[in-house]
Amino acid sequence: MRAIYLIARREYLSYVATWGFWLSLASVPMFMALGLGLPILIENSQPTRYYVLVDETGGELNDAVRAAIAEQARRNREEALELVTEMVGDDPQVQSMLEANMPEPADEADFVRVHSFEDTTIEALRPYLTGERLFISPSGEETELFAAVYLRRNGEAIEIDYWSRNLTNASLRSQIGRALGDYMRASRLRQEGVSLEVLNAADSLRPDVRELSPFRETADAEITSAERLPFFVAVAVAFGLWIIIFSVVNMLLTAMIEEKGNKVLEMMLSSARHHEILTGKLFGVAAVSFTLLAVWGSISMAGGALFQTAATAAGLPIADIMSSLLDPGLIFPALGYFIIGYFVYGAVFLAIGSLCETLQDAQTLMSPIMLVMMVPLFLVMVALDTPDSPIIAVASWVPVWTPFLMLARLPQDPPMIEILGSTALMIITAIVVIWGAGRLFRMGALNQANQETVKNWFRFGQKKTTG
Amino acid sequence: MSDRILEVEGVSKRFRKKTAVNNVSFSVERGQITGFLGPNGAGKSTSLRMSLGILAPDSGSVSLFGGPPRASALDRVGFLPEERGLYRRMKVIDVIVFFARLKGVAPDEARRRGLKMLEEFELGHAVDLKVKELSKGMAQKVQIISTLIHQPEFIILDEPFSGLDPVNQKSLERIVKAQADAGRTLLFSTHVMEHAERLCDKIILIAHGNKIFDGTVEQALGEVPRRVILETGCDADLRALLAPYGDVKADGQTPDGNLAWTVELNQRADAQDVLKACVDGQVKLARFEPVRAHLHDAFVHMVETHGQLAEETV
Repeated sequence: MRAIYLIARREYLSYVATWGFWLSLASVPMFMALGLGLPILIENSQPTRYYVLVDETGGELNDAVRAAIAEQARRNREEALELVTEMVGDDPQVQSMLEANMPEPADEADFVRVHSFEDTTIEALRPYLTGERLFISPSGEETELFAAVYLRRNGEAIEIDYWSRNLTNASLRSQIGRALGDYMRASRLRQEGVSLEVLNAADSLRPDVRELSPFRETADAEITSAERLPFFVAVAVAFGLWIIIFSVVNMLLTAMIEEKGNKVLEMMLSSARHHEILTGKLFGVAAVSFTLLAVWGSISMAGGALFQTAATAAGLPIADIMSSLLDPGLIFPALGYFIIGYFVYGAVFLAIGSLCETLQDAQTLMSPIMLVMMVPLFLVMVALDTPDSPIIAVASWVPVWTPFLMLARLPQDPPMIEILGSTALMIITAIVVIWGAGRLFRMGALNQANQETVKNWFRFGQKKTTG
Repeated sequence: MSDRILEVEGVSKRFRKKTAVNNVSFSVERGQITGFLGPNGAGKSTSLRMSLGILAPDSGSVSLFGGPPRASALDRVGFLPEERGLYRRMKVIDVIVFFARLKGVAPDEARRRGLKMLEEFELGHAVDLKVKELSKGMAQKVQIISTLIHQPEFIILDEPFSGLDPVNQKSLERIVKAQADAGRTLLFSTHVMEHAERLCDKIILIAHGNKIFDGTVEQALGEVPRRVILETGCDADLRALLAPYGDVKADGQTPDGNLAWTVELNQRADAQDVLKACVDGQVKLARFEPVRAHLHDAFVHMVETHGQLAEETV
């Protein structure tokens, strides 16, 4: 036990004392913050785009477009105000302050129409569109022209010529297209004697669908979104489990290869037995992964609590997600599956590491194992849509996939015999794999076996080449 | 208390189709320095690994401190393996303390001993250096400190002199002697005979996985024919004169015009007998040189003899 503790402690400290560990620790919250903040940042840093709109019909379509774009800007402003009101509460003082400081729709628009060009033919505007020439924008800056839009009628149809060198940003084109589409429909309906209001009212007609659980009485049988969440959360946790196990066992592999390269193993073997070294390393890196999990978990919880109001206002059921995540029916199996999955894959990766001198050597042996590891990743994605698929049910009996697939299936309440049976099979496999990996580790540590030895095991029936 | 610290009885080990060690028996007596000699690939490291239970023998038995080589017995052993290395990113003192703690030394005591030994090994300045910053010689000293830090009763050194420059080899010889003087038992493997000849009370010679000699250095030297080199200033044929004392060979004429002879002495004769016979026979001697055999000669002789025997057996 002393050797296991000391080896585990050394392993743990050797990781914790590196920059890489602190970077990994910081990287997840950093990427989460980036993931949340980047779209907002990108949205806010959009430059104002200037365009020229030429209505060749004499103003009929121009008015329709202007009205539709103004309406869209007004709706955006109202939605933003509602969101802030939900976040900060319904304080009239705050409300009036917000109203006063909220930019006017025209000021905040991403696209601003310009009227300063006297010659609006495409020949005249082409150098501004290609960036060869710049013009003075209404805010006084020299800038390029984003687009030139020509509207004309062809009988009842409306033609839009949209000139722009930006091929990816379709917002303006869509806005004008939608506005004129609405205008065309309204015109046609007016001709038929139907007002646009009537059409909108007809469009908004939807049946009221109620999803009910047959396990409950009719009065309270309706299924809420909170009840659906555990399925998504379980799949997300299975995904997370896969990522964590994969990252951590890779740490084991590289550490083992480094140790083999440094020829420390035989020094260690004079002080501890193979199984003590193997177990110590597994526990040491497990402690590293629990540290990562604890820190990331705490940050997520704190972040969740901190942004709960904002998330709720944005329509995210954060409280329900939290309660699904902390459900003992999920968290304890997840912990158990993590431990067993980690020990199985960790032992295999350690054994591979003990057989190899370099990472290149290891890659040959890793490829088939990586393929086996990738399978549950795809199956978990399938489980999101069809958790009751027979393929998922059968695959969750494969011991090395059980931790991920059974976890994803848990909210489906699979038969107890399946849970217990697959878990028992997984534990037996774990014991066999760890025993086998221990033997391989023993041979690899003393250079009695290498990656060629393993390759030879799989060459049954192949004709041996002799020199 | 038993006088035998290690007793290996008829152990064999095969790796796939190759027999690394074949029915080898030997013992290590308390307080002695035992040399484990043999050419590269003779099976020395495998035998040492089996002695410590790092490898399990296919057959035969090992008794360490009177019992099977269990993990608990390793605390009483200091083993410096042939393939040695240290954690490169750790500080020198931390590595030493780590290995000491693995052997059951308390943390404070391990640190105290580590600092003292680093001073003794002239590495006081390297306490806080990382292992990767050390030279090869310095790293080897740290490995030796890590092997001795827990003050083991039994020290096994596998090829300890390999890779060391002559100064560090001399320094290691002093360390080995100091440990022996402190009452510790040492077993070390080497293929450099000079070290074994200077240090060992007993040697075990192994070749092609078989033990071919087990005894004192004197006994080993006795295995090599003793020789006398003679040069005569006359044409006399010494073969008849010296035949009773051994095998006489004519080596031809020297650049000085003398005739050179070599006498390989038989068991009963010594160099004095040859000298007396020459004087009595009025041989005009230009050179008379009894050649002292070295362990290297004994080693080569025994390995070659064993090789020939093995070939003849096949």
